Amino acid sequence: MATALLQVSILGLALGGVYALMASGLTLIFGVMRIVNLAHPIFIICGAFVAYWLFRLYGIDPIVAMPIAAALLFAIGIVVYKLIFQRDAQNPKYSEMTVLLTFGVALVFDGLLAYWFSNTQRVTLPSYATDAIFIDDIFIPTAQLYAGLVSLVVIAALWAFLQFTRTGYAIRATTQNRSAAQLMGVDVAHVSLITFGIGLALAGAAGALVSFVFSFFPAKHWEWIAILMSLIVLGGMGKLLGAVVGAFLLSLIAAYVGYFAGQTWSTLTFFLALFIILLIRPQGLFGEKLEET
Amino acid sequence: MSKALDVDSVLTARRDYNTQLARVVGSRKRAVGTVLAILAVLAAFPLVQLSGINFNYPLHMLLLVFMYVTMASSWNILGGYAGYISLGHNVFFGIGGYFSGMIFVFWGISPFLTAPLAGLLASLIGFGVGLITLRVRGPSFIISTIALLMIFRILFDNWQFVGGTGGVTLPLIDLPVEWVKVPYYYAFLAIAVLTVVVSYKIKHSKFGLGLRAISQDEVKAESAGIDTRMYKVIAFAISAFFVGMVGAIWGDYLNYIRPNIFLIILIAANIVLMAILGGKGTVAGPIVGTILLIAFNEAVVAYFGATQLNILGTGVLMLLVLLYFPNGVVGSLARAGNLPRFLDWD
Repeated sequence: MATALLQVSILGLALGGVYALMASGLTLIFGVMRIVNLAHPIFIICGAFVAYWLFRLYGIDPIVAMPIAAALLFAIGIVVYKLIFQRDAQNPKYSEMTVLLTFGVALVFDGLLAYWFSNTQRVTLPSYATDAIFIDDIFIPTAQLYAGLVSLVVIAALWAFLQFTRTGYAIRATTQNRSAAQLMGVDVAHVSLITFGIGLALAGAAGALVSFVFSFFPAKHWEWIAILMSLIVLGGMGKLLGAVVGAFLLSLIAAYVGYFAGQTWSTLTFFLALFIILLIRPQGLFGEKLEET
Repeated sequence: MSKALDVDSVLTARRDYNTQLARVVGSRKRAVGTVLAILAVLAAFPLVQLSGINFNYPLHMLLLVFMYVTMASSWNILGGYAGYISLGHNVFFGIGGYFSGMIFVFWGISPFLTAPLAGLLASLIGFGVGLITLRVRGPSFIISTIALLMIFRILFDNWQFVGGTGGVTLPLIDLPVEWVKVPYYYAFLAIAVLTVVVSYKIKHSKFGLGLRAISQDEVKAESAGIDTRMYKVIAFAISAFFVGMVGAIWGDYLNYIRPNIFLIILIAANIVLMAILGGKGTVAGPIVGTILLIAFNEAVVAYFGATQLNILGTGVLMLLVLLYFPNGVVGSLARAGNLPRFLDWD
C-alpha cells in the first residue's frame, strides 16, 4: 500500500511539472493584461502539433523541437495580439470582452487544426515515450519524468528572466500596478505585446512536452481550459508561484482520485476544484481578490 | 440679488417632465400587427405539406430557428440584461433532453408532456448552480460556466444508466413522413413565442430594470437596494427553464439523446454569437441574430460541406462581430435611429 501511494505520488508530481508549465503562460498573460486567455490550450495543442510533425517528418526529438515550437508560437502570439487585442484597453468592459475574443480565437484555431489534421488521437513516440525507470518496486515512466524535469527548467528560466532582466522588471511592474508602471516610464503597451508573445511561447513549449505525455487532438483543448483555469485560480490568478503550487497540488489530488476512483474521475477533480475554490476562496491561495469588472 | 428658489415650481416642472417622458415611452406605437401577421404566417406554414410537395427542409430550418431563438433569448435574460456571460448554457439543454428522453424510454410519456417538467428541473439546477457561481463576476463567472459544461459532459459520458457516450435511442413517433416534423414545429414555435414574450415582460419590469442596473454597475445597484444576488440567480433560473424545455423536444425530434449532441461547446458558442450578432440586451436582437447565424451556417455547409470549417467560420464571425459590430444589428440600427418599428421592443 505504501509503495502504491508513493507510486501514485510520483506520477502525480511528474505530471504536475507539465501542468505548471501549461499554466505559467496563462497566468503571466492574465497578470499583465487581465486577459483570461481561453485560447491558451489550443495554442498548447498547436505546439504539440509542431513537435508531432517535426518528429514524424524529420525525426526531431520533441524536447529538441521545444524551442522551435516556442519560437513559432511567439510569432503567432505577436500577430494575434496586434490583430485582435491591441485596442481599447481603457474600456471598462475590456476584461469581459477579451474573454469572448479569446473564445473566438480558440474557435478559429480549433477549426483550422481540426480541418487540417482531423480530430484523431495522436501522440509523439520518441524512444523514451514508452520506457520506464525502476527503483525497487516503483516505476517512473521516462516520458513523464523528462517532461516534468524539462518543465521545471523552463519555469526556472522564466523566473530568472522575470527576476533579473529589464523586460522582466517591466513585466512584473505592470502586473503589480499598470498605471503606476506607466507613470514610471514603462511602455505598457509594448510590455503587453511581449508578454502575450512569451505566454504563447510557453504554451508552445508546453505543447511540445504534451505531445509525448498525453495523446492529443484539436477538440481536446476545451477540456484543458477548465483544467488550466482551476490551477491558476487555486494559486491566485496572475501569480507564477501560485500557478506552480496549484499545478502540483491539483495534479497530486487528481492522481489519487484516479488511483482510488478510476481514471475518468481524475479529470473531474480539476473542474470540481475550480467550483469549490470559486465558492470558498475566489482569490486563490496567494492572490488578492480577482479584479472585478 | 438671488431670487429665493421656488421649490414647488421646480418640483412641479420635474413631475411634468417625468410624466411627459413616461407618456412618450408608453405611447410609442408597438408594431403588434406586423408581429401577429408574421406569427399567423408561421402558424399556417405547415399547411404547405398538403400540396403534396415535401417541404420538410424548410420546416426543419424554421424549427431550428425557433429552437435557437428560445436559447438565445433566454441566454439574453442573463447575458444581455444582467451582463453575465454564460458559455455553458447548453448544460440545461442537455438536462432537459435527458430528463424527458429517459421518461419517454421508461414510461412512454411523450416529451411534449414532460417538457415543462424538464424546464422546471433545469431551472432548479440553474438556481442551485447560480447560487454558487454567480458569487463571482466577470471573467471568473465565464470560466465557471465552462467548467460546469465540462462537469456535466464527464458525468453524462460516464453515467451508464443513460447510455454513457453512446446515449439512448428514443421510440419513434408514428406519423407519415410529411407530417412527422409538424408537432415539433408547433412545439418549438410555441416555446419560442413564450420565451420572447417573457423576455419582453422582464425587460419592461422592475426586475428587468434591476438586471440592467447590475450590468451597468453592480455595486451601485446593490447600494440602491437591489438584492443583486437573488436577481441574478432568478434570472439564471428563468433562463435555464426555457433552454431545458427545448432540450426535451430536441431530443425527441432527433430520436436519440447523446452527450455529444447536447453538451458541446459549439452550441454554447452559437447561442452567445446569435445574441451578440443580433444585439445583446435587446428583445428582438436574439431573434435577428439567430436567423442570420443559421442562414450563415447553412450557407457554409452548402458551399464547403459539413466540416470543421463550421467551427472556423463561427470563430471568425465571432471575432468580427465583437471587434467591429459589438452592438449587433438591432443595437446598431437603434443607435442610428433606423430601427424598423416591428423590431423595436425595448
